[in-house]
Amino acid sequence: MKIITKDIKFLLFKARKIGINNKTDLFITFILLVGVFATLTNFLNWIFFHANWEVVSRNLNLYIIGTYPKALSWRPFLWISIIILLSFTTLLKKLNYIKKRFIYICWLLIIPLGIYLLAGGINIIPISTNFWGGLSLTLILTFISIIIALPIGILLALGRQSNLLIIKKITSLYIDCMRSVPLIAILFFGQLLTPLLLPVGMEINRVIRAIFSFSIFVSAYISEDIRGGLQSVPQNQIEAAKVLGLNKYQINKFIVLPQALIIAIPALTNQAIGLLQNTSLMAILGLVELLGISRSILANPQFIGSHLEVYVWLALIYWLVCTIIALLAKKIERHFSKSLNFQGDL
Amino acid sequence: MRFTKSYIIQYLFLLIIILFLILIINNVHFNLIRTGLGFDFAWLFRPASFSLAEHILPYSPSNSFAWALLVGWTNSLRVIFVALIFSTIIGISAGILGKSHNYILKFISRLYILIIRQTPLLLQLLFWYFVGFLSIRNPVNIIVPIINISNQGINIFGYILTPEFSSLIIGLSVFTGAYIAEIVRGGLNSVPKGQWEAYKSLGISDSIGLKDIIIPQALPAILPGLTSQYLNLAKNSTLAIAVGYADIYAVSDTVINQTGKSIEGFILLLIGFLFINLIISNIMEFFNRNILKNKA
Amino acid sequence: MRKLLSSIIGLTLLISGCSSSNQIGKSRLDIIKQRNQLICGVSGKIPGFSFLNTNGKYSGLDVDICKAISAAFLESPNNIQLRPLTAAERFTSLRTGEIDLLSRNTTFNLSRDSQKGNGLSFAPVVFHDGQGLMVKINSGVKDLKDLSNKSICVGSGTTTEQNINDAFEEKSLKYTPIKYQDLNQVIAGYLQGRCAAMTSDRSQLAAARSSFKNPGNHVILDNILSKEPLAPATVGNDERLADAVRWVIYALIEAEEKGITQSNINQKLDLAKDNKGMKPLRRFLGIEGDLGEKLGLANDFVVKIIKTTGNYGEIYNRNLGPNSQVYIPRGLNQISKQGGILISPPFN
Repeated sequence: MKIITKDIKFLLFKARKIGINNKTDLFITFILLVGVFATLTNFLNWIFFHANWEVVSRNLNLYIIGTYPKALSWRPFLWISIIILLSFTTLLKKLNYIKKRFIYICWLLIIPLGIYLLAGGINIIPISTNFWGGLSLTLILTFISIIIALPIGILLALGRQSNLLIIKKITSLYIDCMRSVPLIAILFFGQLLTPLLLPVGMEINRVIRAIFSFSIFVSAYISEDIRGGLQSVPQNQIEAAKVLGLNKYQINKFIVLPQALIIAIPALTNQAIGLLQNTSLMAILGLVELLGISRSILANPQFIGSHLEVYVWLALIYWLVCTIIALLAKKIERHFSKSLNFQGDL
Repeated sequence: MRFTKSYIIQYLFLLIIILFLILIINNVHFNLIRTGLGFDFAWLFRPASFSLAEHILPYSPSNSFAWALLVGWTNSLRVIFVALIFSTIIGISAGILGKSHNYILKFISRLYILIIRQTPLLLQLLFWYFVGFLSIRNPVNIIVPIINISNQGINIFGYILTPEFSSLIIGLSVFTGAYIAEIVRGGLNSVPKGQWEAYKSLGISDSIGLKDIIIPQALPAILPGLTSQYLNLAKNSTLAIAVGYADIYAVSDTVINQTGKSIEGFILLLIGFLFINLIISNIMEFFNRNILKNKA
Repeated sequence: MRKLLSSIIGLTLLISGCSSSNQIGKSRLDIIKQRNQLICGVSGKIPGFSFLNTNGKYSGLDVDICKAISAAFLESPNNIQLRPLTAAERFTSLRTGEIDLLSRNTTFNLSRDSQKGNGLSFAPVVFHDGQGLMVKINSGVKDLKDLSNKSICVGSGTTTEQNINDAFEEKSLKYTPIKYQDLNQVIAGYLQGRCAAMTSDRSQLAAARSSFKNPGNHVILDNILSKEPLAPATVGNDERLADAVRWVIYALIEAEEKGITQSNINQKLDLAKDNKGMKPLRRFLGIEGDLGEKLGLANDFVVKIIKTTGNYGEIYNRNLGPNSQVYIPRGLNQISKQGGILISPPFN
C-alpha cells in the first residue's frame, strides 16, 4: 500500500515535472494521449496482423527502379546505394575539414553520376528516359530540378534587387506570375502544351519537360528565399566593401551572395523537400515516378484493393527521404555558418 | 558612360526576351495550323454535356462550357475558404501547443508537424479519401443526431458534405495547419521573453495572457507568413482532381479533354486562378491594415 | 528600331519555316523505321489490356497489338517504347507527334476520326465492347431507373463520362457522377461503397469483377449504354502509316481465319513454299507477290507478326482468355466463321 502511494506521489511529481500543472492541462493531455494511443494501437494491429504486404514485397524492384530494364537494374541500384552511403557518412561521422571537402565534392558529383548511370552513354548502354521510374526517377527529378533552379533563382533575386528598371520589372513580373499559379498547371503546360511551342520535328522527352517545368516553377520561389537572405545582409558590409574599392560584381560575388545563401539554407531546404514531395504530382500527368508506379501496380489484377498498404509504404519512403534531406541540410548549414564565422541568429 | 552601358544591357535583355516570345508565338501559330487545332473561344458557349457531382450554382449538362468552368471556379472558392478557416484553427492550436510547457503536448504537436510536413500532400489526400472516408464500414455518430460520418460523407444537421469535399478539406487543413503551426511558433518566439514573464508575474492566466498580450505582439510577424500559406493552400486545392472533386482544375481538364482546346482552356484556368489570388491577397491586405490600425 | 524589329521577326519566321518544311510530307512510317523504334502510347493501368507486371514489363492486349505492329515495321519486335498516358493527354500526344501510335483502348467514333474533330485515323477495331453498369447484387438495382438520384463512379476524360450522361438524360433521370482519374480508383470507389454503381466498358467491368474477393456479390446490368469499338489510332493526315497499321491488324485476323498460329507458322511456310498452287497463302505469307512492299513493309511482314505475337485469337487468349487473370468471353470478338463480327478483307 505504502509503495502504491509512493508511486502516485512520484507520478504526480513527474507530471509536474513534464509540465502538467492544472486540471485543464491534465484533461487536454489525457484526451490527446488517449487519441494518439488508440490510433497507434489500431495502426500497429493493422500493420502486423491485417495488412497484406505482398503488394510491397513482390514489387520492391518496381518501387525503386520502375520499368528500368532488368538486366541493367544494377545501375539505378548502384546510384541509390551510393546516395544512401554518402548520406550516412555525412550524417554520422565526425569529419575533419579535408574529409568534409571531399564529401561535398562527392555530393556535387552525385547528379552527373546519376545521369550517367541512368541514361548511359559512354561505355554503357544508353537507356531512354521513358524507362526511368520509381524512386530513382523521383530523386533524379528532384536533384536536377533543384540544381537548375538554384542559379536561375539567384539571378532572378539579383535581378529583382537591381536598379536597372527594365530588368527589375521583367524579373518581378516573372516571379509574381510563377508564384500565383498552381504547380499542376505548370506541369500540365510542360507536358501537354510545350510540344506546341517547339518547331516542328523537335521533340523534348517527357522527363526533361518535367524537369523544365519544375525548374521554372521552383526558381521563382527560390529567388524569393534568396532575396530574403540578400536583404538580411547588413548594409554596412556593402558600404565597407565599396570603401575598399570593390565593384558591384565583386561585392555581390564575395560579400553579399555567400552570406545570403547561408542565411537562406533553411528556406532552400524547405523548397527542396517541397519539390521532392511535389514530384508526386507527375503521377496525375502520367510519369511513373514513385506515386505513379504505385498507381500502375494497383492496376495489376493481383493487387486490386491494396491501397492502404501501398499508401503507408509510400508515406514511409517519402518521410525517410525528406527527413534525411532535412538532416543533411542542417549539417551543411552548421558547417558553413561555422566556416564563415558568421555571427548572428540563423 | 556607365549610364549608357546599363541602358544597353537592359535593352539587349528586353530584345532577347521579345525575340524569344516572337519565336514561341510563331511556333504556336504554325503548330496550331499544322495540327488543325485552331484558336478560338466559340466553343465556350456550346453545351457542356457532362455533369458535375457538386455545384453551388445551378448546373445541368445542357449549360454551356463557360458556365461549367464558372461552377468549377466557385467549387474551388468553396474548398479554399472552408479549408482556410480550419487550417488556421489547427495551425494556431498546434503552434501554441508547441510552445506549451507540457512536454506531452509539445511532443504531440512536434510529432504532427514532423509527420505531415515530410510526406506529399497528394499522398495524404489519397489517404484521407480512400482510407479515411471510403473505408468506413459502419457510420460513426459523433454527437448522435447532429454529426454522422459514413462513407457517404459527413452529415451535419441533415446538410451532407460529400466524402470528396470532406477529405479535401481535412487533407488541406491538416497539411496547411502544420505549416501555419511553424509560423505561429516562430511568431510567438519573436515576442521577447520578458513579456511572457511579465504577464505571469502579474498573475494573469495563460489563456488571457496569450490572447491579450502575446498574440497581438506576435501577429505582425505571423501575418505575412500566413498570407503566403493561404495562397499555397489555394494553389494546392487544385489537387482536388485526385479525389474526384470538381474544382476549377478538374473541370478545365474535362473541358480540354472534350473540346481539345488545350491552349484556350489553359489560359482560362490561369485567369481563374489570378482572380482567386487577388481575392485572397486583398482580404489579407484588409486584415493587415486593420490590425495595424488597431495597434496604432 | 522598327525596321530592326521587323527584320528580326522576318528572320525568325524564315528560320522556323525552313526547319519545318523538310519534315512535312514525310510519312511517320519512315521516321519510325529511321529511328528503328516504335513509340506506342498505352494506358498502363487497365487489367488485361495494359498493366504493369511484377517483373516491370507492360503486358495486355493493347501491348501485344503494339508488338505486332513493331514486328511488322521493324526488324525486331523489341524495338518498342511503351508510354503510359493519361486519358486526357492521349490525343494531344498523338497529334504533337510524341507517340507514333495510340493503343490505349480508345473508342472509335466520328468526332475523333474526323479532320475537324480530334483528327485521328483509326485502325480496324481490335475489341468490340459496350458500356455497362455494375452494381452489388443485394442493392436490388435491376435497371437504369433504379439508379435515379444515386451516385455512379466514372473514369474522367473518357467517352464513358458522356455516355452515362446521355443515357440518363434520355430518360430524364438524375444521378451524381463521382469522377476519378483512372480505372483502379473507380474500382476502389465502387468497392468501398462510395457509389451505388460503377460504369465502364463491360470488358473492364468483367475484368474488375474477376479480381474481386467475392465476384458473385456483383452483377453487371443488361443495359448496354453504348457501342464501344476499341481501336488503335494514328495521326490523321498520314495515309501510309494508317494503311500499314490497318493491314497489320487485318493480318492478325486473317491468320486466325486461316488457322496460322505461332506454333505452326514454320510448317505453313514450308507448305506454301512447296506448293506453288496455294496462291492465297503464298501471297499472304509474302512468298509471292508484293503485298508488303505496297504498304512500305517487308513482303513477309505477316510471318514476322505471327512469329512474335501469334494471331488475333492467340493474343486474345493470352490476355483475356479463360486461363488468363482476367477472363472475358470472346462474344462479338470471334472471327465471323465462329459467330463473331471480326472479318478481314482479302489480302489481294
